[in-house]
Amino acid sequence: MKNFLQAIKKYFVDLGTAIVKGDIWTKLSLVIFGAGYIGHGQVIKGLLVTALEAGIILFTGKISWPYIAKLDSLGTVQREMVLDPVTFQKVENDYDNSLLILLMGVLGIIIIAAFVFFLISNVKSNYRIQKLKEEGKHVNSFLEDLKSLVNEKFHITLLTLPSIGVIFMCILPIVFMICIAFTNYDAAHQPPSNLFTWVGMKNFINMFSSKGGGSYGYTFARLLTWTLIWAALATFTTYIGGILLALLINHENTKLKKLWRSLFVITISIPQFVTLLLISKMFSNFGIINGILSNIGVTGALQKMGWITTDYIPFMTQKGWTHVMIVLINIWIGVPYQMLSATGILLNIPSEQLESARIDGANKWQIFWKITMPYVLFITGPSLVTSFIGNINNFNVIYLLTGDYVTADASLAASNAKDVDLLITWLFRITADSPKMEYYMASVIGIFVFVVCAVLSLITFSNMIKGDREEVFR
Amino acid sequence: MKTKKAVDMVVRHVFLALMALFWLIPIIWLVVTSFSAYPGIRTSHFFPEQWSFVNYQKLLFQPDTVCNFPAWFRNSMIIGFACCIISTLFVLMVSYAFSCMRFPSRKKLMSFSIILGMFPGVLSMIAIYFILKMFGISDSLVGLIVVYSAGSGLGFLICKGFFDTIPTSLRESAKLEGANEFTIFTQIVIPLSRPMIVYTVINSFLTPWMDFVMAKLMIRSKDPADWTVAVGLYNILQKTLLNNYFSVFCAGGVVVAIPISVLFVIMQKFYVEGITGGAVKG
Repeated sequence: MKNFLQAIKKYFVDLGTAIVKGDIWTKLSLVIFGAGYIGHGQVIKGLLVTALEAGIILFTGKISWPYIAKLDSLGTVQREMVLDPVTFQKVENDYDNSLLILLMGVLGIIIIAAFVFFLISNVKSNYRIQKLKEEGKHVNSFLEDLKSLVNEKFHITLLTLPSIGVIFMCILPIVFMICIAFTNYDAAHQPPSNLFTWVGMKNFINMFSSKGGGSYGYTFARLLTWTLIWAALATFTTYIGGILLALLINHENTKLKKLWRSLFVITISIPQFVTLLLISKMFSNFGIINGILSNIGVTGALQKMGWITTDYIPFMTQKGWTHVMIVLINIWIGVPYQMLSATGILLNIPSEQLESARIDGANKWQIFWKITMPYVLFITGPSLVTSFIGNINNFNVIYLLTGDYVTADASLAASNAKDVDLLITWLFRITADSPKMEYYMASVIGIFVFVVCAVLSLITFSNMIKGDREEVFR
Repeated sequence: MKTKKAVDMVVRHVFLALMALFWLIPIIWLVVTSFSAYPGIRTSHFFPEQWSFVNYQKLLFQPDTVCNFPAWFRNSMIIGFACCIISTLFVLMVSYAFSCMRFPSRKKLMSFSIILGMFPGVLSMIAIYFILKMFGISDSLVGLIVVYSAGSGLGFLICKGFFDTIPTSLRESAKLEGANEFTIFTQIVIPLSRPMIVYTVINSFLTPWMDFVMAKLMIRSKDPADWTVAVGLYNILQKTLLNNYFSVFCAGGVVVAIPISVLFVIMQKFYVEGITGGAVKG
């Protein structure tokens, strides 16, 4: 934290020195970005930078500014048909589109922020060149600058395109959706025919309390509990199952290891949406499993025992049954994956360690518990957290399996949730499956899920990001 | 001792066989149903009473108003190829920059990317749809390609872990010989990372085949010729169509699974290598 503050301080101090000590060209580059470069002999670079500056200013002034100016109200003019006095025909008026205002406004602000950043680093860079010149050192020609882009500045070349992609497809949508959480954007306020506007913290208050008779607080608590239970169960069962299966297949007494492995891998190679939909149909109320079970008398036996009241076993349609089934089916889905990666790890256990343990007289159990397991756990530890997060966001399994499920809980139904929903599928149902399309509530849920996942991953990965172990294996 | 080992082997293999059977039942059901002459869901017999090729014929050669598998397959193929080229390039580029280059704010950028990757994709989908619409590429193959590949640079972790294991001395000696970073990247690091590249290529090719939510949200067109395999197959399982198309759905599942299985067999080896190459790093 202290380092961070110091870095910020240094950033602005550097800017100050550059402005104060800069010569007339450097100072001029505050306004005309390329001036410093041109004045110090880098004409082509100077022209290019100035052209970019002009482009950004033009874009902001001509295109994005009208939207940014309306950001505070998100538009005031509703779409109507008005009579055109010239042609005497009904035409659309010049209406405001709240969605476009928000989207372009956010984009415009991101670009302005980038512009300011560009301005600061540009002045600094001009000052650096000025100093180089004063000290009589070599100033790069344009050709040399270009060459450095494939050498010491290669990272800029490499990262530019992927960054643009990430900005448009990740950052912009995220900022946009966070903004939506503070608006009243839903089916009744759907652009272009209607406007939506800012509502402050109202949605968050609705979500986390049940004041005013809303069912969101109740649903949220219920689904959060189930999400966490589900993520823990799903992660734990597939992890243990995968490692056990890998151990079983890779044991010295097992013949035809490749064949067994391939048999399980076949299940991965069919797209999840196909297998999941298929399994949900197999277990449906009048599906094949129920047909066979009732033929052999299991259904009748269960009825007599009072476990079920229907003519079929409600695998996918009654709470409790469905919760268990989802976890079981997820084992079916997840274990082969875990088996594959565990196999890779088991095959890579340093053989010297096993050998020396054997020479020292350790028996198989000791080797297993003292060497194999700690090794596997050590390596797969971080992946446990990753798969926990993956399971919190495990949309496919839940959504594709529970298409036929109808909740009996009125409060859940009122907020478009089902007992077996995760937060993430609830979010989807709110926007895509419900006629009200309460995007703002979906955004609130999304922000919450994001915070949970980000905190979890930061705790786990902070060591990794620090990179202290980056050099170990080189 | 010998009998003990024999018993152990028998128990082991019987248990494995049972597990494998359990895992394969849905797959077997998928395959046998695809050869059933009855179009809807059979409820009492595991194996069809009447076998026939009619579902494959319908699927591959008789596209109708709800089921146009040849077009779906072509669309998914195009998207898959485009994505695997763009995503692989992006992943390799980002991984090289983060693993082999040293520049200020490298670690900050890395943590930032990891946090970004944590944001639930389902949420930003709605926004992504509007962004595509703004650029006029919603409801098109180009739009889906952009959606699947633009953010792919964020998936650099495994590949970076692999690059981290390439000895620095290799790159340094190349530098002494006068090679620039571009040459090192293309001539040394890339040839050395063949398993990683195969892994990334296959993975990014499979994304559009496996994904369902994104495609469903992005494609609003009502014309089946514009759909991908995932959207199309999901659609014919609607309650109203189910009884006429369930067996066709199964046939579609089998047809899709064939190319993917081939890729998986190739990838299996690299998958294991690739994963551990990255994982040893913790």
